Amino acid sequence: MVSEEPPGSLRESGPSTPAHGGAPHASASPSAGTPAAGTGELPTRVRPSGLAEAADALTDAASARRTVLIEGAGTALEWGAPVAAPDVVVETSGLDRLISHAPEDWTVGVEAGMPLTRLQELLAPAGQWLPVDPPTASGGATLGGLLACGDAGPRRLKYGGVGDLVIGATLVLPDGTVARSGGDVIKNVAGYDLAKLMAGSLGAFGLVARLNLRVHPLPEATVTLALEADDAARALDAARAVLRSPLEPVAVEWDGRQVLIRFQGTAESAAARARLAPEIPGLAAARALDSEAEQAAWRRLSERTRGEDGETVLRAATSPARLPRLAERLRELTEDTPVEARLLSGLAQGLHTVVLSGGDAAQHAACLTAWRDAVYEAGGSATLRRRREGVDEAADAWGPAPSALAVLRSLKRQFDPGGRCAPGRFAPWF
Amino acid sequence: MIDAALRREFEAALGADAVLSDPLQLRTYECDGLTGFREVPALVVLPRSTEEVAAAVSLCAREGLPFVARGAGTGLSGGAVPVAQGVVVSLARMRQVLELDPEDRRMVLQPGVTNAEISRVAAPHGLYYAPDPSSQVVCTIGGNVAENSGGAHCVKYGFTVHHVTGLRVVLPDGSVADLGGDAPESPGPDLRGLFIGSEGTLGIATEITVRLLRVPETVRTLVADFPTVEAAGEAVSAIMASGIVPAAVEMLDSLAIEACEAAVHAGYSLETTAALVVELDGMEHECDEQFERVVALCHEKGTSHVRIATTDAERALIWKGRKAAFAAVGRISPDYFVQDGVVPRTRLSEALTRIAEMSRTEGLRVANVFHAGDGNLHPLVLFDEQAGEAERAERLAAEIAEMCVELGGSLSGEHGIGLDKACSMPEMFGETDLAVMRRLRTAFDPDALANPGKVLPTPRLCGEAPGRYRPHPLEAAGVIERW
Ligand SMILES: Cc1cc2nc3c(=O)[nH]c(=O)nc-3n(C[C@H](O)[C@H](O)[C@H](O)COP(=O)(O)OP(=O)(O)OC[C@H]3O[C@@H](n4cnc5c(N)ncnc54)[C@H](O)[C@@H]3O)c2cc1C
Ligand SMILES: Cc1cc2nc3c(=O)[nH]c(=O)nc-3n(C[C@H](O)[C@H](O)[C@H](O)COP(=O)(O)OP(=O)(O)OC[C@H]3O[C@@H](n4cnc5c(N)ncnc54)[C@H](O)[C@@H]3O)c2cc1C
Repeated sequence: MVSEEPPGSLRESGPSTPAHGGAPHASASPSAGTPAAGTGELPTRVRPSGLAEAADALTDAASARRTVLIEGAGTALEWGAPVAAPDVVVETSGLDRLISHAPEDWTVGVEAGMPLTRLQELLAPAGQWLPVDPPTASGGATLGGLLACGDAGPRRLKYGGVGDLVIGATLVLPDGTVARSGGDVIKNVAGYDLAKLMAGSLGAFGLVARLNLRVHPLPEATVTLALEADDAARALDAARAVLRSPLEPVAVEWDGRQVLIRFQGTAESAAARARLAPEIPGLAAARALDSEAEQAAWRRLSERTRGEDGETVLRAATSPARLPRLAERLRELTEDTPVEARLLSGLAQGLHTVVLSGGDAAQHAACLTAWRDAVYEAGGSATLRRRREGVDEAADAWGPAPSALAVLRSLKRQFDPGGRCAPGRFAPWF
Repeated sequence: MIDAALRREFEAALGADAVLSDPLQLRTYECDGLTGFREVPALVVLPRSTEEVAAAVSLCAREGLPFVARGAGTGLSGGAVPVAQGVVVSLARMRQVLELDPEDRRMVLQPGVTNAEISRVAAPHGLYYAPDPSSQVVCTIGGNVAENSGGAHCVKYGFTVHHVTGLRVVLPDGSVADLGGDAPESPGPDLRGLFIGSEGTLGIATEITVRLLRVPETVRTLVADFPTVEAAGEAVSAIMASGIVPAAVEMLDSLAIEACEAAVHAGYSLETTAALVVELDGMEHECDEQFERVVALCHEKGTSHVRIATTDAERALIWKGRKAAFAAVGRISPDYFVQDGVVPRTRLSEALTRIAEMSRTEGLRVANVFHAGDGNLHPLVLFDEQAGEAERAERLAAEIAEMCVELGGSLSGEHGIGLDKACSMPEMFGETDLAVMRRLRTAFDPDALANPGKVLPTPRLCGEAPGRYRPHPLEAAGVIERW
């Protein structure tokens, strides 16, 4: 390994200080704050700035055989199964530089600890953005975190998820090895795409240090229509009607009460779409939101999807047609119990979120397990994103093991043979 | 070695008519679209189902036999070239559409279904499959998955990886696994995404779930002639900088036009130095608005003539000319190589100028027809094998690909690395990068039985010496560091 940065200059913030600024959630995260398994001490927090320091951090952890948790903004550390108290927390907030931006090539290179909102600020003057719907609150979700979570907002319908926008990546593997795949151009098929290994990896396969991304022109205008629908079948019908039309919606979501349909384009064409939509059979009652109401509606959707402390959040993926049956099943499961369930759905893509509140942990666990079974029976899959305290004692974080389990285990052995990165994240699978 | 007993085992598993071992028959599988690489396999099997593929691969795994999946054999990087003493698993009999769900706009396909067939079957529902390689009438969805194929419309719609949500695959040990699913999220690392573009080295795709798109309301297409390649390049930049995302932006130079016109009379002007094909699609309203701006931008950048397709037939003819380009070159040259490389779009002019210089130096003609919108070059190196020009042509083609890397681009935009470019990989990636890619391959295929010798360089193929690595320009400029 060659490095332009002097090695060994890691800033360790020590066991007790909750890190440098920029990682507000760090000390509040459930796993990172608890004593490390072997030592009974708080984890050491390191905050590398730059690739070389990140590599050193993981190399050091490897030689000392210490377990590692990678932390971005800390807004989604709970996703998946709980991680056993790590010896070292590697914060990515110091990996926040812009490396390059070539507006005419539609590409940008960044360090992966950069918050999405920061990237958008940097791109906006060029009339561009990374087409990922912004985390609305001040959470500060990072690009690396977004990729590791395999997440995307409602406009995934048009643009795909973060993983679909990555054109190149630099990783630091758990043993400190630095590897690059992809490149800087928007079309490229040379070699394996290591970024795909990171997409959805929840920090269990190594650190994403840098990302090259394809950016898009900012749409000139967007407009959102809302349609009341408190029933899943009705909501799905509305979604299908607009998807059959030539209007090309960029997002179609249901928050349990109303369907939100978003269009974008030039100012004129966005307006034309909003005008034409209510003429589609079944959409007569859809009304266009003014721009303030539009912002508020999408913010509310994001918040309702995310859930709050004390709630249990499960994300499921099936073909869209399964929604009504799954909604019915959820109703059956919560009927006559104190548990309240909220179901939201990306209607065009079959991405459903269930948020449970009320009741106790045992009831959440029972409901989530039974509903997840229904999802798997429908040919889908599910990820636990958040849980009321105590749920883990009564329910597995993951559903039935996938048929590719042997490959997943084998990948884990190849990339993290010591099982030191996010230990437990995919338990009981591996 | 495959002896008679083992052959009988393959026959028992797949049926006698599904196992070929006659040397004459085997010979038809010796190469793909890149005919310079040839190898006769020991056996060809023609399974009909996932179970039969699994049975065949299990036998290979048990015997330690290398195997190579094969679709239509249109690949242009030697990806489907057999391994000596190995087995070819041809997917030619797996041509069924297993499921079509027009409401959820998805289809489940066997791997031997051709790319064009998908859209043909979807058409009655107003749907289509977006990636459209020029070879679409022949090439298979399995081959598309393996190569992460693109096409003329990927600047707006993306590649195969953006349109395939799920795969059923037979892994190199003969087991069956589902990667991805019906929806675009699944727990854990994106194995589906890793598999797509892996060129048959991680296993064999046997069932493929694709998403379909609604056919756009309008399509508008024009051909704009330019006095210089540079001017055409500037028009491309201007269009892409305007906030418009065209469905396609293709460029042809005069030599490519000459070939196309000789072959299909698509109405391109023989007088012009460069022609741009620009297509917009989407809602009528928006298309019209943006099309006007595109025409204006072409004029601003000095077009000598803009021809706008007024009928579907005219549009189809423009595309026929463009898509026939590779084969058409056969009209003006006895032999040719199709190269595939990518440069940042802003360096297109520079790349074309350098190709022209290199072409002069080698004394060989190069025709250019390419996806200008994403900087994906397809230089066609013309030569005459009889006149002993093959070696020079090969050298020139390789130099062009390496120049693309030097300009900050890639060795391949869509045809893949295969056998052809495996030894050039060290031009683009460092030793560690390649070693890590090897770990990934090992995780899927510990015994390296699936399409060995492709994608990653091997000492046997490329020599023991560690490859050259030229620093990336950003690295040279000190913007990024090298590892
Ligand atoms: C208020 C709010 C609204 C949101 N709305 C949206 C929305 O509209 N659209 C949307 O797409 N998402 C949204 N999200 C969710 C978002 O997807 C996650 O919060 C985000 O992906 C997590 O980023 P993070 O930096 O906080 O990661 P963390 O919580 O720090 O980490 C999450 C996981 O990723 C791993 N990880 C983090 N960084 C890296 C890295 N560099 N390399 C490897 N692994 C890493 C961690 O180990 C952990 O397993 C929202 C989040 C919030 C807080
Ligand atoms: C005239 C012409 C024009 C072309 N235009 C384009 C273009 O515009 N865009 C583009 O991207 N490509 C283009 N190509 C290249 C080629 O058509 C594509 O790479 C195509 O996807 C190959 O499909 P195939 O079925 O012919 O695959 P093959 O050539 O048979 O195989 C290609 C690779 O895929 C593997 N493979 C095949 N089937 C499977 C399977 N089921 N599972 C796993 N691995 C498998 C093989 O082992 C091999 O490595 C063109 C080729 C020609 C000849």
